Amino acid sequence: MIPQGQREGTGLIVDDEPQIRRVVRNALQGELARLVEAATGSEGIDMAAAEKPILVVLDLGLPDMPGIEVCREIRKWSSAAIVVLSARQSDTEKALLLDAGADDYVTKPFSTLEFTARVRANLRRAQAAQRPSEHRVAIGELVMDLAARTVRRGEHTVHLTPIEWELLRTFATQAGRTLTHRQLFNAVWGRTFGDPQQYLRVHVANLRRKIEQDPLRPEIIVTEPGVGYRLEMPG
Amino acid sequence: MRETEWRGWRRRSLGRPGSWLFWAATLLAVTVALVSVRGELDQAHVTLIYMLVVLGGSASGGRALGFSLACACFLLIDYFLQTPYDTLSVDKPLDWLVLLAFLVTATVATQLLGRANAEAAAARRRAEEIDRLAALGAETLSAGRADDALAAIAKVIRETTGAAECHIYVAGTGGGFRLGAHAESAAAKAGGRDADRSTLETVAWVAEHRWAATERLDGTPVRTSAAQGASAALDAALAPARALLLPLVAHDKSVGVLLLADSYGLRLDPARRRFLDALSYYAALGIERVELVAEAEHAEALREADRLKDALLASVSHDLRTPLTTIKALAHDLAGGGDERAAVIEQQSDRLNHMVADLLDLSRLNAGGVPVHTEINAVEDLVGAAIQQVAGALGGRQLRTALALREPMPVGRFDFVHSLRILVNLIENALKYSPADTPIDVAMRGEGAMIAIAIADRGSGVPAAERERIFEPFYRPAGGASPDGARAGGAGLGLAIARRLALAQGGTLSYEDRPGGGSIFTLRLPAARLGAEGVEEAPPLAVSS
Repeated sequence: MIPQGQREGTGLIVDDEPQIRRVVRNALQGELARLVEAATGSEGIDMAAAEKPILVVLDLGLPDMPGIEVCREIRKWSSAAIVVLSARQSDTEKALLLDAGADDYVTKPFSTLEFTARVRANLRRAQAAQRPSEHRVAIGELVMDLAARTVRRGEHTVHLTPIEWELLRTFATQAGRTLTHRQLFNAVWGRTFGDPQQYLRVHVANLRRKIEQDPLRPEIIVTEPGVGYRLEMPG
Repeated sequence: MRETEWRGWRRRSLGRPGSWLFWAATLLAVTVALVSVRGELDQAHVTLIYMLVVLGGSASGGRALGFSLACACFLLIDYFLQTPYDTLSVDKPLDWLVLLAFLVTATVATQLLGRANAEAAAARRRAEEIDRLAALGAETLSAGRADDALAAIAKVIRETTGAAECHIYVAGTGGGFRLGAHAESAAAKAGGRDADRSTLETVAWVAEHRWAATERLDGTPVRTSAAQGASAALDAALAPARALLLPLVAHDKSVGVLLLADSYGLRLDPARRRFLDALSYYAALGIERVELVAEAEHAEALREADRLKDALLASVSHDLRTPLTTIKALAHDLAGGGDERAAVIEQQSDRLNHMVADLLDLSRLNAGGVPVHTEINAVEDLVGAAIQQVAGALGGRQLRTALALREPMPVGRFDFVHSLRILVNLIENALKYSPADTPIDVAMRGEGAMIAIAIADRGSGVPAAERERIFEPFYRPAGGASPDGARAGGAGLGLAIARRLALAQGGTLSYEDRPGGGSIFTLRLPAARLGAEGVEEAPPLAVSS
């Protein structure tokens, strides 16, 4: 598997608060080989172009420009994992950010542990995206065969409807990344037909009944309230 | 009616002096003309010509003139135009018959004309009243300010009743009365009445009992048991009165008092009093409008204050979170090094963050600025997200859930984020207010049009007297029902926010005692019916290998 702490690549921290930059720097110390910092949005964009970071930690409350603009700009030419720090707890804003190209967001005040875990997951996913896709995807006990379109848990085959299969496939190919409701609609209902998009949440609940040990304590598909869902890679 | 019209109306009933003179002259001229040719005239010619005079007179001059003309004609025909001439005696008995027939016909015709005239006059008055009501309605509606409308009403009432003054007293919030509007004639402007103490007392009495009162010409107050101006119970009290006070009632609420005054005595006939009742209802509505406008202005001011408060709170909450992040992160690092005090700092910064969020939410809920996005959601998804959110706060506590996978999945139409907040609040409350070694139970079920999620604990429950109070903001349980005082110290906003959020999405939040001890909080949300194509079980794709 992928090593826990990877000591390669550059991380860029864009935040106008020196104290927050310090907290983020401490949290990322063991994860990346090098960390650079920017205090404004335009400086952040310049440094993202110059340093080619694999991770950008972006604060939304920047003095010179809206964080979402910075996010959009960087995403135009960079495939770096973008993790947004937000002080507002507005979920619509978060969904907008993810739709604008951010990979993940963390709400202030955040715990260092959670933050580090999120960063790790995003880095891992960014790396995985660069490798050729595999036929078999293992999610804990669950094994998906993308070519044969089968899902097995241990010895048992899990029976999925076409929509549930599309959902799980979408999650699995972007594991660790929070997918907004809109992104899921586009990915799943863009291929199939006839099913009202409003039932997305019900389909996810049905899927959980089939693949989770306890649908009320899901470990594979995690809900991001008001934003969307995320597939967690155990381990 | 205006004063001039009122005089004109009186004149019409007696007839004008001018028309009496005119018809006397006409009669004279006709007689002179007829006498000059009386030798060649037939009786029929004579009586018909005089009949025309009588009819003309009664039509233009009224009934009294008509009768007088009829009598005068009778005498003139008898004296000048019937043989023997120039004497009242008559030759032939048949001539008497002609004369009597003339008199009866003229009288009856006059009578009929008079009645028709009276009816026409009454109809004219009705039309005028209706015009006036319409004008009043238009004026009150178009008046820019509610106070102007009330003044317009007072003016119209005064002009209609012919009183010198009209005052409208408005019931104040403190129980007293203030003069809301008044109108007075030019003559009364100099020496109008003042609102003395006894007047105000009478005003208060009228408003309280909803009965009319009057004031005699000598100033003696008379309190009646008449509810309306038109009632007969008021007749005696009005006989000679210089003031009339009527209660103003709108929507069964006593809103003020109408005072009509004229130091020379009020002249109010029953018809006019009936009209006055209609007008006074307008006055009552006018007062109501004034009050509503005042209330609306007050509410607008309060809303503005709320908006400012909300903006302030939002910015404060936002600015508080940034330093909290630093404190929490640094404390977390220190706690990792084994410093217990740092763990307390982190815990308390979480608590502070929680309170900031609560305050922000409550202020937004109060300002009505919380958007609700209701969508079709699975209850399992909601409960799962709640469990995930409280996982960190469980601290080893048991959270039991019962989920029957065979049953159809409960699905509702609600706002996921708001409902999640409610459930998290309820579970955190249950954790706070029940002993650490007891489990929390979460159950969900369909209840027809609603879906219910119940959070049950084994705490001490809520005393009957406080069951509704717990949903009020800043409520704290009396005597600290929490077994763990330190953790229970929230701002007392959780349940208040939860209930408001439930109501905002068409749901309810209620409390009941748990059999065997403890509390059950039940969140009910609208259930959703899925279409046939919604979540059907299509043939599975995956085939066993």
